[in-house]
Amino acid sequence: MLEVTDLTVAYGGVIALENVSLSVPEGSITAVLGANGAGKTTLVRTISGLIKPRRGSVMLGTQQLIGRSPEVIARLGVGHVPEGHGIVSELTVDENLRLGGLWRRDRADQRVAIEEAYELFPPLRVRRSVHASNLSGGERQMLSIGRAMVARPTALLLDEPSLGLAGGLLAQIMQRLVALVTERKLSVLLIEQNARSALSVADQAVVLSLGRVELRDTAERLAGDDALRHAYLGY
Amino acid sequence: MHLFLIYTVDGITNGMVYAAVALALVMIWRATRIINYAQGAMAMFTTYIALIVIRHGAPYWLGFVVALATGLVIGAVTERVLVRPVESRPPLNAVILSLGVLILLEAIAPMLFGGQTQSFPVPVSNTDLVVGGTSLDISPFALFTIGAVLVAMLLLFLVFQRTTLGLRMRAAAFNPEIARILGIRVGRMLTLGWGLAALLGALAGMLAAPSVYLYPSNMDEVLVFGFTGAIIGGLESPVGAVAGAVGVGLALSYVSGYVGSDLAPLGGFAILIVVLMLRPQGLFSFGRQRQV
Repeated sequence: MLEVTDLTVAYGGVIALENVSLSVPEGSITAVLGANGAGKTTLVRTISGLIKPRRGSVMLGTQQLIGRSPEVIARLGVGHVPEGHGIVSELTVDENLRLGGLWRRDRADQRVAIEEAYELFPPLRVRRSVHASNLSGGERQMLSIGRAMVARPTALLLDEPSLGLAGGLLAQIMQRLVALVTERKLSVLLIEQNARSALSVADQAVVLSLGRVELRDTAERLAGDDALRHAYLGY
Repeated sequence: MHLFLIYTVDGITNGMVYAAVALALVMIWRATRIINYAQGAMAMFTTYIALIVIRHGAPYWLGFVVALATGLVIGAVTERVLVRPVESRPPLNAVILSLGVLILLEAIAPMLFGGQTQSFPVPVSNTDLVVGGTSLDISPFALFTIGAVLVAMLLLFLVFQRTTLGLRMRAAAFNPEIARILGIRVGRMLTLGWGLAALLGALAGMLAAPSVYLYPSNMDEVLVFGFTGAIIGGLESPVGAVAGAVGVGLALSYVSGYVGSDLAPLGGFAILIVVLMLRPQGLFSFGRQRQV
């Protein structure tokens, strides 16, 4: 269970997030929707420790994440798939995957986890010794998600995975992700501008607007209510 | 023709010392985007410490090991204590800081070690090898110099490319933020990177001291020549830095041999200025333009 309570973040005097609360139960996906500048990326970056909030709490199970450094938060079980993939393009595909769990003590399981990532996204296996700079957009997204999974996280933060991906490929990646969520009891926070794609896989949805939670509901109801969709999601 | 051979051997030998300095500069640049102008002064400091150890009756090799170990510590402490606070500041802060460390070390050295020029021992003979009555134009110490730098480079290559520690260090240098969200302790990696770079610098100090002698600013020229090599190599590429530095060594040796030894340092500065004016991104770099 990932639980965000009353999170407020400010850049200088500008409030980016104001009293944001949401929770992601185990084995479920919560979509965070909203326009550019609504604070979606700020939210994930604060959870993973890259931004210090003004106040609020983020609990992963019984652990308070606020006040801890990104490297510690990663070790506590938060996988972060950053906006624009965040792969290290100077390294090979295999090196990128290994980076995912370098801090782990269990070397044998680390090898198993890397093997699982290749099974999850078979196109990566063919390209394993290629520099990541040569990958296509879809392969980069697979690599980024696969790399996060190598650390065997309990929570996964996905920042705009649809960015730059063709619809078919995105659906494929999302399908794999949904299977993982139930299998691994993951808590997934899915940040998306592409509301249609996000609502098709999410259980819960939160709409952010100018840093505030504007609306929260089940993904099903939000997708099914034409008036809400038009008003908040623009499709 | 014979003279040419002698100048070439000299050039390569000196070039390898510049290469060690160049490689140290590149390592620090890649990890923290800082030109460590204090690289030479740090090497001077560790060489003095080696001299003290040797003067107290210890064998050369103990002094050698102590110098490298001290380099590791000085580099690591400098990063952790002095560089870390300016890392997120404008680049000029780091430039001023590393110049400050340079001035500080060169000012402290005469107080601690005395300011006069001192000779420095060699572990093996400094005179040219003679086999069957003909001179080979290369001394055992020159061979040692070339070999030691090659071994150091090979070890660094293996650490960076073949170990998980190296993978962590590369990730921390290429993309610190991504490395952090993957659980890598980037701060420690940068500290270690500075330490290893200063260790390489300490090696250069030990290898240069027998010919340039030991005094508080003895590494200034070596730093300029190593820096020139690193710039020629594009500052990003370890291979480019080594090639550039050996090139500088050769060029200086030919200038000094055919034109006059007084002009050699001038030649080094001339190469640096010309490269910075014509190709500030280096001969081996194809990346974006860099501010100089």
